[in-house]
This record gives sequence, C-alpha cells and structure tokens, in this order.
Amino acid sequence: MAPRDTPDPSAAAPQPKVARATAAVDGLDAAGARRRPAGLVAMLQRSWLPQRGLVVVALLGCLGLFLLARLLAQQPYIDATWRVESVEVVELVSSPLPALRALSGGHLTRIDGRDDAAIDVDADLLQRSPRWSVDDASRQHQMTLQQRLSTMLGQGAVTLQFADGRQADVQPLPRGFAGLGAFFWLLGAAALALGLVAAAVLMAHPQPRNLPYAVIGLCQGLNLLAIGIETLPGLGLPQSYAPHGLLARMAFDLCSAAAMVHLSTLQPRRLPAGRWISAAAWGAAALLLALTARQALPQAWWWTQAVMLGCGALTLLLMTWSYRLEPNPFARLMRRLAAAATATLLLLSAAVAVASGQDGLVQDDAAVSSVIWYLFLSTLVLLLPMFSRMQPLMRELALLAGTSTVATSLDLLFVATFSLGAFASLSLSVFFALVVYASTRRWLLQPMSGQQVPGAERMFERLYRVLREVEARPDDSAALLTRLLRELFEPLEVRTLAQPSTRSRVLGDGSALLVPLPIIDADHERAAEGSIVLRFAERGTRMFSRDDARLTDRVVEQLRRAVAYDKAVERGRSEERARIAQDLHDDIGARLLTLMYKAPSPEVEDYIRHTLKDLKTLTRGLASSDQRLSHAAAEWKTDIAQRLGAAQIELSWTFSFDRDVVLGVVQWSALTRVLRELVSNAIQHSCATHLEVSATLEGGRLRLTLADDGIGRKPQDWSHGLGLGGVRKRVKLLGGDVQWRENGRTGIVCTVVVPELGGRH
Amino acid sequence: MAVKVLIVEDNPVARSFLCRVVRESFSDVIAITESGDLESARRQISLTGGAQGLHGVDPFKLLLVDLELPDGNGMELLAELSQYPATKIVTTLYSDDDHLFPALQCGADGYLLKEDRFEVLVEELQKIVRGQPPLSPAIARRLLMHFRPGGSGEAAPADSGFSSAGSFQSSRPVPIEKPLDHERLTPRESEVLTYLSKGFTIKEIASLMGIKWFTVNDHIKSIYKKLNVSSRAEAAVLASKQGLV
Repeated sequence: MAPRDTPDPSAAAPQPKVARATAAVDGLDAAGARRRPAGLVAMLQRSWLPQRGLVVVALLGCLGLFLLARLLAQQPYIDATWRVESVEVVELVSSPLPALRALSGGHLTRIDGRDDAAIDVDADLLQRSPRWSVDDASRQHQMTLQQRLSTMLGQGAVTLQFADGRQADVQPLPRGFAGLGAFFWLLGAAALALGLVAAAVLMAHPQPRNLPYAVIGLCQGLNLLAIGIETLPGLGLPQSYAPHGLLARMAFDLCSAAAMVHLSTLQPRRLPAGRWISAAAWGAAALLLALTARQALPQAWWWTQAVMLGCGALTLLLMTWSYRLEPNPFARLMRRLAAAATATLLLLSAAVAVASGQDGLVQDDAAVSSVIWYLFLSTLVLLLPMFSRMQPLMRELALLAGTSTVATSLDLLFVATFSLGAFASLSLSVFFALVVYASTRRWLLQPMSGQQVPGAERMFERLYRVLREVEARPDDSAALLTRLLRELFEPLEVRTLAQPSTRSRVLGDGSALLVPLPIIDADHERAAEGSIVLRFAERGTRMFSRDDARLTDRVVEQLRRAVAYDKAVERGRSEERARIAQDLHDDIGARLLTLMYKAPSPEVEDYIRHTLKDLKTLTRGLASSDQRLSHAAAEWKTDIAQRLGAAQIELSWTFSFDRDVVLGVVQWSALTRVLRELVSNAIQHSCATHLEVSATLEGGRLRLTLADDGIGRKPQDWSHGLGLGGVRKRVKLLGGDVQWRENGRTGIVCTVVVPELGGRH
Repeated sequence: MAVKVLIVEDNPVARSFLCRVVRESFSDVIAITESGDLESARRQISLTGGAQGLHGVDPFKLLLVDLELPDGNGMELLAELSQYPATKIVTTLYSDDDHLFPALQCGADGYLLKEDRFEVLVEELQKIVRGQPPLSPAIARRLLMHFRPGGSGEAAPADSGFSSAGSFQSSRPVPIEKPLDHERLTPRESEVLTYLSKGFTIKEIASLMGIKWFTVNDHIKSIYKKLNVSSRAEAAVLASKQGLV
C-alpha cells in the first residue's frame, strides 16, 4: 500500500513513466477530451455557464438557509455579552436589556428558571462547542449546562443571580433575524458556497469518483453552519441543537476525513486496492461514530483527532503513491494541500490538548482557533476544483486562513505551555506564523506556478526562432508549434487530436492543456484541423493554469500573424514579378516580333527568334513558380523535337530520373536556356543528321549529354562566343560543369554535370 | 468562290505576315479580311450573318484571332462565336498553358505561335485546318486534369505538387451527377493525353499504342471537341447558377 521505495519521484519520473502515462490516458481520445477531462474537476469546460440544475440547487440552498435562520430566530435567548474571568467567574460585559443594563460588570453565579430548575454558572456555560472539549467529563458538563439552559429559556422567564447578591428577572425573547449576528450569516454564505461547488462538480460530471468530493463539500458546509449556530451571540442555544451538536459535528469531521481518503484513491487516478483502503477509512469513521453515539468510548476527542490525523496521513501516502504511478501534477498539489491541512490540524490538536484544563480564557481561544482551522479547510475544499483557474487573490486568501490557524494555535500553545503574557505570546505566534507562511508559500504554490517561468529573454528567443522557422516552412507549423510548446511547458506527453477546438483551455484538473492547431495557412484549404494536448507540465511537477492557456493563445496568434505577413510579402513580390514579366513580354516581345518579321536575312531572323524565345523563358521564369523536372523535361523534348524536325535532324531522347525533383525558377530557366543553346548550336553548326540527348538524375546529380554526328572537331580550339559562353555561365550558376569532347569519329559530345539539382536555390 | 478568311491582329506587320502565311497555306482563292481590333472584327462578322453564321450569307471559313488586342482579349470574340461555323485559330506570342488553355476552352480549334518560322507556321496552319491541332505537354496535363472525374481544370491548381497518381484517389468528393459521355474521355484518349503530357511526339505515341498516327490525331481532335463541349456545358451551368440564363 505504501509507495515503493524508489528515490525521488520527480527525478525518476520522465522516461519510464511516459509509456505508462500514455496507457493511462483514458479520457483524452477523440470524444474524451470534451466529455471526460482527466481529473476531478469538472467544471472547466462546460461549466461555469450557469446550468439550470445549479440554479435550482442554489435556490434550494438559499431557501434552506433562510428556513434555518427563521427557526433560529424564533428561539428564545438572553441578549447579553459575557466574558470569562476565570474558571468560576463569568462577567456580564454589557446588555441592551433594561433589566441587565445596570448590572454590567457583575459576576453571574446562578440562573433560576421555573419549577425550581436552576444551574450553577461556571465558565463552561460559555463553552458551546463540545466537539473541541478534550476532557470527557467537562464535555458532558458543558452539554448538560447548555441543555438545561435552553430548556429553561424555552419555559419562560429566568432569574439571573449575581455574586454581589443582585438579581434580575429576564424574559427570554426570540432572537429575530437581527439577533443572529453577522458571523452567522458569513458562515452561512460560506456553507452555501461549499454546497454549491460540491453540487456543481457533481452535476458537471456525475460520476462516482466525484462523489467523495461532494461529500467533503457538504460535510464542511454543514460544519460551518453548526459553528454558526454555536457562536450565536447571547445566552442560549436552540433547544434541538444542544443534545445533538456534538455527534453531528463529529460525524461531519469523520466523514470528511474518510471521504478525503476515498477521494485520493480515485483521483487523479484510480489506485489499485483503493476500494479496500477507502472501505477501511469509512469503517473506522463509522465505528467511532457508533461508539460515541452510545457513549461507549472514553476519550472520544482523542480518538476522533487520531482518526482524522490518520486519514490525513493516509491521504499523503496515497497521493505520493499515485504520483509515482503517474506524475500528474494534480496529485502533487493534493499532497501538499493535504499536508498543509494535516499539519495545521496536528498543531491545533496539540495546542487544544495542552490548553485543556487551563482556565476559561484559554478555552475560549481554543474554540476560536478551531473555528479558524475549519475556515482554512473550507477554503481549501472550495478551491480544490478551481486551483488551476482561480485568481491569485483567492490562493492568497486560502494561505492567509492557514497562516491564521497556525498563529492562533501557536498563540494557544504558548499561553498554555509557557504561561506567557497575552501580548508576548501573540507577537511570538504571529512572528512564527509569518515564518511558516513565508517558507511554505512557495512550496505549496509551486505546483501552480512552477520554478520555471523561462524568463522573458529566453522566451522571446524561443518564440522568435520558431517564428522564423514557421515563416520559412509554413507547412510544418503544426510540428513547430508543438516543439515550441514542448520547450515552454516541458510536458511529459504530447498528442494530437483530430478534433478541432477554438481556443486553448486547461483540461481536467490542470493536468492537461488543449491547444487548437492553428489554421495558419488561410489560403490552404487542406490546413490541418485538430488540437494538441499537452499533459503534465514540467515533467509532471506543475499544473497548467489559465495564464498558460492565455499565453499559448497569444503565441499561436503571433505565429499566425507572422505567417500572414510573410505570405503578404511573398504575394506582393510575385505580383510585382508578374507585372514586370507581363510588361517585358508584351512590349519588348511585340517589338522583337515586328523586328523579326522585318528581318533582312534568315540569320538575323533566327537570331531575333532566339532572343525572343530567351525573353519568353525569362518572363515565364519571372511569372511562374517552381516546376517539376518531369514536366519541364516533357516540354524540352517537345520543343527540341519540333526544332530538330524542322532542321531534318533525327532526335533520340532518353531521360531517366530516380526522383521527380522540383526545380526552382532559376534552375528551370537556366537548364531551359542551356538546352536551347546547345540544340541551336547543333542545328546551326554541326550539319549533323542525328542528335542524341540523354539525361539522368541520380541522387540529385544531373548528367546531361548531347551527342551529334556532325562535322564538329577539336572543341578546345573553339572560340566561345555569346552562345557557348552563355552555356558555361548558366551551368556554373547551377553549380555544375560543362565539357565538350570529340564524339568517336564524327561529331561532338557535350556533357553537363550538375551535382546538386532540386531543392531550392 | 473565294474562301473567306478573317485575321484579327493589331500589329500591321504581323498581320501582313499572317496574310502571307494564309495565302501560302492554301491553294484556293483566298479573300482575306483584316481587322485591328475586336470592334471592327465584330462588325465584319455581323456583315456576314452574325455570330450564328446564319442567313445563308457566305460566312468566314477561317478566323485567326490574336489574344492581345487593344480593346480586349481575343477570347471574348471566340466565346461569342462559339456557334460560328469556321475554323478558329488563336495566334499569340504566349506559349504557356495558362494563356492557351482558356482560349481552347473558348472554342479555338488550335493555336499558332507567332514567333515560329514562316514554314513552321504554314505547316501548323495546314495541320489545324486538316484537323491535326497541336497539343503541348503542358496543355495535355491541363486537359487531363480538366477531364479528371470530379475535378475541372480550374478547381485544381495546375501544379499542386501532388500530381502523382496517388492523389487522384477517392478522397475527393464524388460528384453527385454522373458526368455525361461527352464530358468524359475514352481510355484511349486519356492514354494519348498522358503520352502527350510526357512529351512524346505523335509518331512515338502511334508506335507505342500500336495504332496509325492519324488515329492518334483523331483522338486529339475528339479531345478538342470534348473540351469545347464540356466547357460550354460548364459555362451554361455556371450561368444558370448565377441566374444569367
């Protein structure tokens, strides 16, 4: 059950775990990403949008709270403020009642009711939270006192006896809504919020694994309500509450603890044997409750605290185990939160235990510190589903509540153990609490923020690099974006979904981030649609937050802009080139044509025709984009065949290539003009009857030979005029080499070798 | 009776050159009408019975139309004259398929490249009139794409980078209506086109396919016709979609 004994989970995490993590992704394939996010918390996708059911629950909750308030408002009470002087002495501080106003400062000794009912007053009368009384006897005493007091108040007028002999007859009046006090409403609102969050989680994802969370939320909400009732101002508790308060609060506490264990066996992943573990937790809680209900268990407070602390420790262990099975940052966060809650509970229990048996003043402090601990716990429960999306303010609030718990517990401890003065202990405890705050804040929130934050400079550098690459290769933008996201977040797992999404969002409990694959290339209809899912940021040590989603959206937007800009520039360029080409072709071409028709001799005419063809090649190269070698070869062949046919020269043509490369504009026009020039040469000078053109492309190396059977000889003696010079120049431009040799007995062989053809120049 | 020929060409030198080509090409008595722009060409045509070539008036038998004219593109005239009973030939300086293919779609029966030598032009003109129109590899490729099931030449880019056989697969949406027969090429015709697109000459194709060279020519003629018909059908569909008809 306990985690295996491997060294550091985060250090051991990356490589071997990825495979298992992949196997564990159950909810993230096509349909899953939308319907079943990986973790507890639910609300992310669909649902902060008010669902109808949630509204109904909220209304019902408000109604329930109102009914409770109404019930409480009808209960009779004595409106007065009291203070515990010492164990035996309870002092009246003030009261708006006319009968008591004059008695301020008096020490209450006894309360008489009807039918000779009476209670002897001591400090326990003001202790209305039996749950946090350590000692069995004093707890029983408190409960009896409260019960009798509320019975007496229910029966009518009571007489308050004071130490100095004075007495006052007081008619208990119903509280009214105003008499409930602000604190009750505050707690009521908090309880309502807890209940709503629990209901929302359950409604958004009605699955058994979210049930424990709902139980915790509900129990803590009820706990807060119970505290609200216990801290009502004045004397007198509602009659129906006094006998059952203790058991109810114990039930809430124990259920929460057991549900916490249960939850951690289900989330973020189902643990093997989790069923047995949670059953054991629930069993212990139920047993303890049953025994307490029968009052068969001595030292009930100790047992309760022990079970709660035990459940806390168990949760810690389970989360550690879960994190080793799958490095989900949510497990890490849960572990730390559980650690914080358990540690503060331990401190509080120790403080209360030490303080028990001290005088009443300390008892009062004990009650207050327990209330603060519950508030702390409630904020944690409240925030758990929203941890990845909530505002930093809320996080700080939760931390503050925790710090306050520490402060009051410490204060209590100091007062009880060292008998320090109130001021000294307060300042000491505040100091220590701040130390604890400062040292744990980072540790606790680290799964949220991470140590990372790559720094603006590095971030910019990465972004810039990827932008450049996307501009260069827009087709790879998806892969490049994935790489950038990998660098930014270092997730354990990246996968692509076919499902498109509109914007980035945090999935599950912050363990995953869904990023839409941008349609970066707007012209391209086939642009990839889909999403990238990143899981477990920073190798599973950090949770994704909404800030991350926002950042990602911005990055994607920047990428899109960069590509759009680049495209616009490219479009502008090609439009400009096309315009120049058009002008050249239309104006110069028409003039050359006229000149050609008027040519005085066939030589001049041919020369001009050649020029015109070169011009056409040039303008076409300007206007068109890249060409495939196979297409170009087909055109060369047709052209050459036609020209040789007119000159009565036989052509044999072989062209073979292992790969159909794409020729850049420069390569295409260079090769076209080289071929034209060489063929012209053969037609004009060789007097050949046969021309053999053969070309092979192997591994990017082009070898082109033209062999004629003409009269040409001794190529080394040729004077390289405009034509052959042009051929040399263009072959050199292609990075190749050209040679002329004698072809056996008759004719010339020209060999052009271009070592690297294809790709872009 | 003289054979009537209309030459639409704005460059006077080129015009007289084309006149020489026409006269050289045919032994009949030729009556050549010349016009320098679209407007005068239209006028000439309406004098001889209008665009439909009806009324029993003696129409032009041969039209040579330049693509780049001062008051518009020769293709406009070709499109108007789709029913005109004459051999229509485009004369142009542009030899690339981007310019020529649309002209063929508008109903041209062939094209002449103005920079070719006199003798070549004469030969080509004779061939076209005899029904042996030229077909360059680039245009053959365009034709293949045009007649590809489900795709018209305009929808697919001329060079998408995916023109290997692999991309001609079934992932394209299948057209709901079955294309009519006149919109489809026979297997022999596609074979001829494929060879042409690879740069084979007609003689080579004839020997590769084991048929006579004039049979190859017949295929090419038939392809021209189908292109014309299918383009017109396409235009009609387009027009009715836009509510023009």
